[in-house]
Amino acid sequence: MRIADYIKQACGNLWKKKLRTFLTTSGVVIGIGTLVSMFAFGQGVQRNVTEQFSKLDLFNYINVYARGGQRRPGHSHDPDEEGWRGAEDAASDANSPRLDSRFMEEVKKIEGVEVAFPELRFPAQIRLGAKEQFTLVQVLSASICRSGPMPLRAGRCYDANEPNELIISDSLLRRLGVNEPSEAIGQQIEIATLTLDFGLTTLLRMVFSQGDQALPIARESHNFTVAGVAERMPFGGMGDVYVQPEAAAGMRKLSLTSIWDFFQPAGDAANYSMITVKVKSPKDVALVKKELESRGFRTFALMDQLDQMRIGFLIMDMFLIAVGMIGVTVASLGIVNTMVMSILERYREIGIMKAVGATDGDVQRIFLFESGTIGLLGGLFGLILGWIVSMVIDTIVNAIMSAQGAPHMDYFSFPWWLCLGAIAFAILISLAAGILPTRRAARVDPVIALRHD
Amino acid sequence: MGADGFIETRDLTKAYATGAVEVVALRGVTLSIARGQLVGITGASGSGKSTLMNLLGGLDTPSSGSIRVAGSLISEMSKKELALYRRNTVGMIFQSFNLVNAYTAIENVALPLLFAGVVKKERLHRAAELLHTVGLEARRNHRPTELSGGEQQRVAIARALVNRPQILLADEPTGNLDSKTARQIVETLADLNRNRGLTVVMISHERDLLREFAHEMIRLQDGAVIDREVLRPNP
Repeated sequence: MRIADYIKQACGNLWKKKLRTFLTTSGVVIGIGTLVSMFAFGQGVQRNVTEQFSKLDLFNYINVYARGGQRRPGHSHDPDEEGWRGAEDAASDANSPRLDSRFMEEVKKIEGVEVAFPELRFPAQIRLGAKEQFTLVQVLSASICRSGPMPLRAGRCYDANEPNELIISDSLLRRLGVNEPSEAIGQQIEIATLTLDFGLTTLLRMVFSQGDQALPIARESHNFTVAGVAERMPFGGMGDVYVQPEAAAGMRKLSLTSIWDFFQPAGDAANYSMITVKVKSPKDVALVKKELESRGFRTFALMDQLDQMRIGFLIMDMFLIAVGMIGVTVASLGIVNTMVMSILERYREIGIMKAVGATDGDVQRIFLFESGTIGLLGGLFGLILGWIVSMVIDTIVNAIMSAQGAPHMDYFSFPWWLCLGAIAFAILISLAAGILPTRRAARVDPVIALRHD
Repeated sequence: MGADGFIETRDLTKAYATGAVEVVALRGVTLSIARGQLVGITGASGSGKSTLMNLLGGLDTPSSGSIRVAGSLISEMSKKELALYRRNTVGMIFQSFNLVNAYTAIENVALPLLFAGVVKKERLHRAAELLHTVGLEARRNHRPTELSGGEQQRVAIARALVNRPQILLADEPTGNLDSKTARQIVETLADLNRNRGLTVVMISHERDLLREFAHEMIRLQDGAVIDREVLRPNP
């Protein structure tokens, strides 16, 4: 038999049993649709994470931490390291290298390093007009801002001569009721910090009042002008509000990381808990990390986590596929049932075909083409269904997230190989489901089949 | 025995196991049929006629003994070789017509060509010619359920001829037909024997009708040949 004849036979036979074909194919459509949606979601998450990381240059960053006094064996006698530490002999820990401003200057000289800056954040209440939001304020110098770690949607990086300028993220801006970033430029924003107040008045209030009034917390407000609007990146964006170190120094606040260290004069025993180093290219990460670690610091780079992330994504994909496979398994049982029914109904026809010269292979292939055609149709329409469902979910989730100030994001990804793979998989599953019934058909004894009513 | 042994069986035995009981349908049948003969096979129900026909047609395999057709030992053939033998060497006609109800007359006739890998245009052309030969050209697009018994059997004859076989095996082709139609069918098969030189082996209960056309009559009883009668000289 010719391939074209198998296809025509399969289509003709399926068309004769329209309702059954429709119902069986619907099972495959739902199964494949579910699987495709699940897998597309996994792919979407993976794409979004890696894209955002790349977009933010997060693969170019290394976080550097002090070892907390613990030295790796063999490093205490490293002549380079001794030189690196130089005259900084802090009384508290003579052997530990310091994360301080001098260290930052030295780091900038390492081959491949673009910029280094300390990680300084503090909590604050942000007010624009009548609306208020609570967030973390990131301290970032004007020079680092201009070096480009964050993309701006409107305005510019703040001016080093204007300490009361700030940069705000577009998502926080939306939460404060401004949807168009350019409208925010030049507007006044109030940053209210919280401080511990152990003054007499507060202590008296603590003694004589109840509830939250009893906390020794005071509020201090500072006015800033919006210089720029940054694109707030999900999955690791740097912050929602950025101010300059000079402005931060003049604010009393509950610091997560002490700003005082930053402003202590060089040479003082001032340590940061963490310094962020930006390298010129992800290729530089390994070398710079090695250099920093050889100087006695602990490092963390997302680049190192890439393989772990890939394993994580793989596990997530496997889980999503496992859930999607439930539908496909049910659909394949439907195909088995349909093929068994079809073969029973056409038992005599199989006998006739064999009597006029069909081989066992011809008979098996006739039925396999039928199950394969169900798979092809199921795969095609399943892909369309999966795409439609994904688009609906995407639209709904984006509408909800947008109201909360999150940027638009495609939560599902349909790469070409997923589309082709889904159709191929549907055909493969259908053929697999058809193998046992069609082998039964191939083994039909023509003498018995011709006597069959 | 026939002259050149175009179809030859030797000690042909076929036994079926039905539960614990073994039923012997054929017991050591040895016969020879010459090329171009029309041979009639008669016998009571259960005498082994249809079993013999299934073995000659390659639909079944013997328990012991041998079958040689046109020089090929079909009793030793694999399943695939038997399928090719059925496709290329023999055409079979059955009492119950065995047409596919889902197909039209012309599609039924063309069915063997489908498995032979003949292109559709050629299939339909050859099927139409044969439907014309059996006088059913006008009924080509009718399904079997829309045809009379005689018409269905003529479609079955056309189908048996479409692959240009050397042998035509007819298993009680008149069994479901009235006497007038039965005669027409037997006459058609006799014509094919005479005019196309086809070797025809026909089973029928209608011994007298067969005797009018057959070169030789074979009678089976309890799975064995009990009588052979040569009626006419070999063609």
